Amino acid sequence: MRCRDGGVLTMGAGALSPHCPVSRRAALGLGLGGTAAILAGPRAAAQGAGVPRRGGHLRLAGLAGSTADTLDPARMSVANDFVRGKSFYDGLVALDDAMVPHPALAERLDTDDFQTWHITLRRGVTFHDGGPLTASDVVYSLSRHKDPAVASQQRIAAQQMRDIRATGPLTVEIGLVGPNVDFPAILGMDNFAVIRDGTRNFSSANGTGPFICTGFQPGIRTTGRRNPDYWGAAAWLDTIDLIAISDDMSRHDALLSGDVDIIGSANPRLVRLLRTRGFGIMESPVGTYTDLAVRLDQVPGNNADFVTGIKYLVDREQVRDSVFLGFARIGNDHPIPPEDPYFAADLPQRAYDPDRARFHLKRSGMSGKDLAFFCSPAALASVDIAVLLQYAAQRAGMDVGIRRMPVDGYWSQYWMKMPMSFGNTNARPSADMAFTLSFSSQASMNESRWRDPRFDALLLQARGERDDTVRRRIYHDMQAMVRDGSGVCIPAFTTSLDAFAPQVRGLRPNRAGQLMGYGFTRSVWLDDGGTHR
Amino acid sequence: MTRSLGPLILGRLAASAFSLAFVVVTIFAITAALPGDVADTLLGQSATPEAAASLRHAMALDQPAWLRFWHWAGDMLHADPGRSLLTGRPVAELVGPRLYNSLLLAGATAAVSVPLSLALGLACTMARGTVFDRAATVLMLGTVSVPVFLIATVAVFVFAVQFHLAPALADINAVHSPLQFVRVFLMPVATLSGATTAQMSRMIRACMIDVFSAPWIEMAVLKGVPPVRIVLFHALPNAIGPVVNAIALSLSSLLGGVVVVETVFSYPGMAGLMVDSVAARDVPVVQCCALIFCMVYLALTTLADVVAVASAPRGRDR
Amino acid sequence: MSAVGAFLSRGGRHGAMFAARLAPGPRRALGLLAVWFVIAFAGPLLAPHAPGEIVDRDVFAGVSLHHWLGTDYLGRDLGSRLLWGVRYTVLICTLSTLLSCCCGIVLGIAATATSVWVERVLGRLMDGLLSIPSLLFALLVIAAAGESIPALILTMGVIYMPGSYRTSRALALRIARADYVTAALARGEGRAFVILREILPNMTGPLLSDIGLRFVYAVLLLSNLSFLGLGVQPPLVDLGSLVRENVLGLAYGAPAVVVPTLVLALLTVGINLALDGRRP
Repeated sequence: MRCRDGGVLTMGAGALSPHCPVSRRAALGLGLGGTAAILAGPRAAAQGAGVPRRGGHLRLAGLAGSTADTLDPARMSVANDFVRGKSFYDGLVALDDAMVPHPALAERLDTDDFQTWHITLRRGVTFHDGGPLTASDVVYSLSRHKDPAVASQQRIAAQQMRDIRATGPLTVEIGLVGPNVDFPAILGMDNFAVIRDGTRNFSSANGTGPFICTGFQPGIRTTGRRNPDYWGAAAWLDTIDLIAISDDMSRHDALLSGDVDIIGSANPRLVRLLRTRGFGIMESPVGTYTDLAVRLDQVPGNNADFVTGIKYLVDREQVRDSVFLGFARIGNDHPIPPEDPYFAADLPQRAYDPDRARFHLKRSGMSGKDLAFFCSPAALASVDIAVLLQYAAQRAGMDVGIRRMPVDGYWSQYWMKMPMSFGNTNARPSADMAFTLSFSSQASMNESRWRDPRFDALLLQARGERDDTVRRRIYHDMQAMVRDGSGVCIPAFTTSLDAFAPQVRGLRPNRAGQLMGYGFTRSVWLDDGGTHR
Repeated sequence: MTRSLGPLILGRLAASAFSLAFVVVTIFAITAALPGDVADTLLGQSATPEAAASLRHAMALDQPAWLRFWHWAGDMLHADPGRSLLTGRPVAELVGPRLYNSLLLAGATAAVSVPLSLALGLACTMARGTVFDRAATVLMLGTVSVPVFLIATVAVFVFAVQFHLAPALADINAVHSPLQFVRVFLMPVATLSGATTAQMSRMIRACMIDVFSAPWIEMAVLKGVPPVRIVLFHALPNAIGPVVNAIALSLSSLLGGVVVVETVFSYPGMAGLMVDSVAARDVPVVQCCALIFCMVYLALTTLADVVAVASAPRGRDR
Repeated sequence: MSAVGAFLSRGGRHGAMFAARLAPGPRRALGLLAVWFVIAFAGPLLAPHAPGEIVDRDVFAGVSLHHWLGTDYLGRDLGSRLLWGVRYTVLICTLSTLLSCCCGIVLGIAATATSVWVERVLGRLMDGLLSIPSLLFALLVIAAAGESIPALILTMGVIYMPGSYRTSRALALRIARADYVTAALARGEGRAFVILREILPNMTGPLLSDIGLRFVYAVLLLSNLSFLGLGVQPPLVDLGSLVRENVLGLAYGAPAVVVPTLVLALLTVGINLALDGRRP
């Protein structure tokens, strides 16, 4: 928690003390407190019941795994990578279930102007190899993201940090390119986990996390055991064993047969089967969305009528019900999900309107010839959404093709390159990040090439704005601008599903992603000590 | 006999080198034509043009394709398959354990399917035209016509999920005793053997019937030699060449042609490694896998030819 | 599946001769194929729904009056999709089989009719092609060339070419040694004349059954390709992809997975049995 104290913002371990009457939300406006209770369904509540017990061996099967699996925090990109990261490493800041930042390896974060941040590290933290955590480790861990050879997933976010330097054995000063109220949330992203100074070899993990890596074979399995010297709340489980099963049916079979205890990316179509057999389903309303991006700087997207027509073609209820079988929340063509504290609830919901679509498409003068929706299994459910959209377009008098592309090469070759392509965006830690990374004019992931100087100005204003009410109003306007101006069409936000055996306890929904924002190994326990049916 | 085998093997080796070179060049050419490269894989969605370009430069991927091939071929001549572009680890370290796993699975499948298909093939030959022969034929064809992924999926769902008779995953780390080996390998081997046996026994039957139409077999039949004797001592020796050939071909595909079974049972083998590496554009690993598949194929077919020549009563009929 | 390809390639070498003696076999198989062609052509015209149309909120629905074969994983009409699936499977497999056989026959005859070196080089190239597992080869080529029907046909054509080459070379060799060919050559007939008038006509019977077999294996390869996500572009579908996309329906015993499998088996087993000279 943090509180404002004479203009100096402090986020520190002492924040839980009664001396800090100002709530986190009021201080920074980062998020809702107690969102977990709001998010939790009835089953989730049942999950929390019981007294945790120590011990047991937990086996997880995630969706994606290949020789590209990594233990390098900078390169982590698929769910299993993040599960590994959350188990073996810690960040300076940790995001809670509602994505509100809390201090972790950093004992406190202080700033006067939101531009220069002073970080004081927790004392007495050791890496798995026994070495103590020092400022040089943090400087190395953060600075390396800017080196192109590291191939960091967060190079763009890292470039906000203009200089990172140690000011003492346990103090680090970070100077940003501009003020950013949400900077702690950036530090809370899993890719910014702290590793030992000078680490180049990632065949094993040397972190500070609650588990110690005991084996790592990319594309095969990862094993870990509880870190007995963990600085924080120790994990309940003795050992963990992570594998990936990409084939949907096989992954569920492994759970049903008792070969694994928990699976990520449960398929909505198998939820009925899992429930009838007594398995639990954890629904996490994450901010992940699959969107259609129509490039505004190319034919046909440079025609406003065409873009409007396409937006009216999307039957959002059908996407939610037929593609996600109800495990989704309808989107309104902007990236802020309904659970977000800044969600603009009063913005009119855009709906399927075949007549208007037909009118606009006709007025655009475009014919469907040579037009195609580029989609790929790489972007979750995009092929199915494309099928729906194509049929709707046909009904509205326009024959658009579908080009399904292989997973590999899709992001680099087709996504954002083609006039109409589907993308998939992960939950961002803050509204600022969601707008900055995908909608600001300079954003490299500005999918529709939408450029609006007024939007950029508002974004900067909100980033440095301390008054939550003002921020809320700015974000509200920005959602409306994205909804009406950009060429991005967001039909739905996905609800992430995990399925687990009855003995797995302590799972809670998390807005950051599946498996409690990938960090479930830190808090789940096994009811029967890990013995199986 | 030995005099004719020496040159045959030598000639085969020379020819194999040519085939290997062809495969290597073909695979490299295709991988070079694939859209995207390792830099794109590593960066994923954050692959902005400039980020990708600087990573490419840092990884020396901006060299022309022929130059990379040249370096790779030079290393390969010194028996060094190089390093994986993706992980930076030596390719041999990645491939080694997978090759072992694949050979284990292929070996177990061969141990089941070769005797089984020989027995079935011979039985069908002896019982030509009977109900047994017909039933076996329809069964085999039926087995081959259902996609392997469906057979594997149904097998797991029925035997692992419904009856808990076997694990759903072929977890090779769980094998510590012969009994566990049987438990873990039961379903993948059964799935693979189903398809392999169906093919092999059909081919064995065809080869045997081909031999059966020879006049000297008819003679033996007329002389009243018992059918079992005819099959085992008259027909089989003459059909060994084609039969061994058929077996060799079926077996050679057990290494790289089992991507479905590896995926469904989460078995870490060579085929899965190659699929992963193609997806990641990890060219040295793809090349190494292709090379191994090709060598195994050539070794098996050469072996089959050697057996055929060595066993043929009247020399090599070509 | 590459085992299938391998079987075919070598199986043809010996199996073709065997099948040649059963003249009614290939003929019956061709007749059966014609029936499938009619279904492939007329089927989609009779389909009650478009292949991409969602007709029901209920996914993996069972047989009903509205949807005779139930619905698929998105709630689309399975019967309609099945009709489209038959069309694309039959179309792609026929064209790729023709392609591989034409190339194989031309090269096979060329190998026997020209110098030993041509034969040796071709033999090694074919060995090389055969040694690459077919699924992986298809994955590579289609990833490079993009997923489209022509790319699929071309890839499958290349995969089955070595087998066809081996069969036709073996046949041509056998026929070239026959007395009537020796006689024609002795008469001073040109090479082209001998090939066209003596060798090719005598190869027709065995070749037909080889082509039939190859078609069956093309169907199987195409359906296994769907495991890697390769197939015709949505919303169209081939039979293998139809099975693959609905495979989760297995857990509910949905017709969406059972029926396409049965149709696939009917197609391949039928033609195979017909080739064997038995009543399908």
